[in-house]
Amino acid sequence: MSKKLPLLIMILPIAFFMVFLVALPCIYVVIISFMEKGIYGGIEYIFTLENYKLILEPLYLKIFANSFFIALVTTIICLLISYPFACFISQKNKTVQTILITLVILPFLTNSLIRIHGLIILLRDGGIINNFLLNINLIDEPIKFMYNQTGTIIGMVYTLLPFMILPLYSNISKLDANLNDAAKDLGANKFKTFLHVTLPQTKYAILAGSIMVFVPTLSYFFVSDLLGGGKTMMIGNVIKNQFLVARNWPFGAALAISIVLFTLIVVIVYRKMGGKMEQLGGVSYEK
Amino acid sequence: MKKIKLLVLFILLLGLTGCNQKYENGEVNVFNWSEYIPDSVIRQFEKEYDIKVNYSTYSSNEECLAKVMSSKTGTYDILVPSDYMVDIMLKKDLLEKIDTASLTNFSNLDPNYLNQSYDPNNDYSVPFIAGGVVIAVNKQKIEENITSYNDLLNPKYKDSIVLLDDERVVIGIALKANGYSLNDTNDYALAEAKEFLLELKPNIKLYDSDNPKGSLITEEASIGVIWNAEAALAIGENSNIEIVFPKEGIYKWIDNFVISKGAKNKENALKFINYILNPEVMKRVVTYFPYKNVNQETNKLLSDSYLNNEAMNIPDRIMNNGEFVIDIGENITKYDRLWSEIK
Amino acid sequence: MKSKHLKNFYIFLVLLFLFLPIFILVVYSFNSSRLNVTFENFTFDWYLSLMDNVSLLEAFKNTLLIAFVSTTVSVIIGTMGAIAMHRYQFKTKKALDTLLYIPIVIPEIVLGISLLSIFTLTNIELSLITITLAHITFCVPFVVLCVRSTLSSYDDQIELAAMDLGANKFKTLFYITIPSLLPGIASGALLAFSLSLDDVIISYFTAGPGSNTLPLKIFSMIKMGITPEVNALTTIILLFTIIALSLFIIIQIKKNKKG
Repeated sequence: MSKKLPLLIMILPIAFFMVFLVALPCIYVVIISFMEKGIYGGIEYIFTLENYKLILEPLYLKIFANSFFIALVTTIICLLISYPFACFISQKNKTVQTILITLVILPFLTNSLIRIHGLIILLRDGGIINNFLLNINLIDEPIKFMYNQTGTIIGMVYTLLPFMILPLYSNISKLDANLNDAAKDLGANKFKTFLHVTLPQTKYAILAGSIMVFVPTLSYFFVSDLLGGGKTMMIGNVIKNQFLVARNWPFGAALAISIVLFTLIVVIVYRKMGGKMEQLGGVSYEK
Repeated sequence: MKKIKLLVLFILLLGLTGCNQKYENGEVNVFNWSEYIPDSVIRQFEKEYDIKVNYSTYSSNEECLAKVMSSKTGTYDILVPSDYMVDIMLKKDLLEKIDTASLTNFSNLDPNYLNQSYDPNNDYSVPFIAGGVVIAVNKQKIEENITSYNDLLNPKYKDSIVLLDDERVVIGIALKANGYSLNDTNDYALAEAKEFLLELKPNIKLYDSDNPKGSLITEEASIGVIWNAEAALAIGENSNIEIVFPKEGIYKWIDNFVISKGAKNKENALKFINYILNPEVMKRVVTYFPYKNVNQETNKLLSDSYLNNEAMNIPDRIMNNGEFVIDIGENITKYDRLWSEIK
Repeated sequence: MKSKHLKNFYIFLVLLFLFLPIFILVVYSFNSSRLNVTFENFTFDWYLSLMDNVSLLEAFKNTLLIAFVSTTVSVIIGTMGAIAMHRYQFKTKKALDTLLYIPIVIPEIVLGISLLSIFTLTNIELSLITITLAHITFCVPFVVLCVRSTLSSYDDQIELAAMDLGANKFKTLFYITIPSLLPGIASGALLAFSLSLDDVIISYFTAGPGSNTLPLKIFSMIKMGITPEVNALTTIILLFTIIALSLFIIIQIKKNKKG
């Protein structure tokens, strides 16, 4: 039997998907981004740089800045919540750890839109939280959780939190406790031990978790649609609108390419710093 | 072993939900506005004609056009565009001719809504329903009398207005507030509209096209610039709400059934359209989603609670005084820009 | 000891944040009011009317179907691909490897519009098939990663041993290679299944008439004012998920005790 044949059989199906449904579509989007748009939508195959020039206008730069701001705040909040959480649960015994981590995965397995709907019932002006606070006279009028930037950020944190907890947990739970003890023996206080011993060892997990939260935030248009009340325009919403409402595919494509470029830069920096690609898939953390 | 059990469980589940009936007479793909035809009407059609209805929805004319243009020709059979969108679709050659003579229920339609400028002989479109953008006001929260779009600028209404998430509507009312036409594309008019919208911005609680009544019913918003049926439904749930027709005149529209070019189920599409034009069926549609009925025969069946309700059955004088949106061609980019600027 | 209570309280708070919205949904699935605003009376009505909500059930069926097919296909081709890339050297390996990371790394919306554009360009009708193809595309890389992580600790020598003992290639694959890769394959399958079930963005761009999925249906329902029927369906799905996960925990705990 030829040596080539089994290889071909095994590799062709996956290669088919990756070439025809990943590589070619992406190349095509790059091409569209340099084309002109027709009056009623559609693509005119005439080369232009207009779409990229348009991105540089203050209007869209503002939307970019706003999206990055929301993504950054979301990432930081997720990190601040997840880090202590991951530390605390890795101090539990194995059985409790398994149960707690499964509890973190459980919401991740239920539909994220449904969970957002639950969040809406909780957060709106006449929602459960506001009603409760009003009833105990802690506040005089409802806190505006929704239909603004706060709403978008709460929704993003809520949807993406497990992506931060899981990599951190799997890294922290494998840390060698002896190192901490050694540091203590050498006279380091808790804070110093954390800063010089624990933190450096969890560097890659922090980075991987941050990328896994930051990048989706840019594209989760449904969160800002539902919790932002259509007022917080994020890059994801603009791309969606260009493709499905305004019919300006070339401009939408140019916007998409620009966030891909940004993502690539982040990933390259991450790899240069020594991070592993597998961690970005969250896969080495299964189990 | 467990995995096998799990697999069996899933297959059972699939089987439970998957017991699809077979439809003798094929299918029809309907692409319609959200909240327009009640589910029960569609099920009844499926049963009576043995045709499967694949029903999908959109929430703006532009979304409909974009989706149709990015799909293979003939993906959708029936679309329900508004007046100006029929015009655009005709210019783009997206529509199939409809032989209205073959529709036995076509004669039920009110002649006032036939032969409009966007399709003078109704060669391509069949009027389905009409309506307008009105102002809904929660009287318990808003003491002042609102009569004009300009009244919405009152700083007292901070964070309390729900607007339709639709650029032609929002920019349109800004133009009307300043005495221009809904369709003005002059730079000075648009500059004034922009001014108006920037002033209005702090008062806007949210943009919502799909369910603007929701925030009015829960009293999260106290003023809505919304479709008339949404206002009517909100009034039904919350009696503090009243409707206002602004004195500048309303944004009015007629939505029409059209058949998309290359439709694969043209026969079934005609059957579906004819079915909806049946007075009894149309009665169920307008009682469920109370827009302005354009079917004369249905009007004979409707009760006074519909006919005398101005939010549902917009009076003819208001309709006649209203304005249609028209296709503004390439100038739409000016609108797109303004829209991104004020949002 | 005080700090221990504080830590437990913190864990509780985070879990509360994650679970409160879900808990609310379950409670509201028994609420007689249609509006999801205040809780009126206890009722089972929504579970009954769920059975008549054809479009919701159809969306659910589509979702399960898509998840099933795309999981199966991506597990098969992903496992084959991972084994081949582990075992053979070939010229395009590096390129393929890079391509596999694209769906993982780039924002979902970009993959969504890319697929929509290519389907439009080639005039392929949007349907259940396109949506399934799209799901396979973003599931495969995760399967490959999972299988690969098991492969890295896999000892090739046992295959040689099996063949020495007279097993042919086919037998070796089915009796030796695949069983020892099972943990990786299983976690890949689980991941693929849950990714497919929950996908909103890519489905949003690649769905056509008659291929509404549950997340898309729920998206439009939330915008239009959701009915408690959705809450009822979620409660049922949740129940199944909890049962499956409890089984998983029990197995895991037993394993921990043994190890």
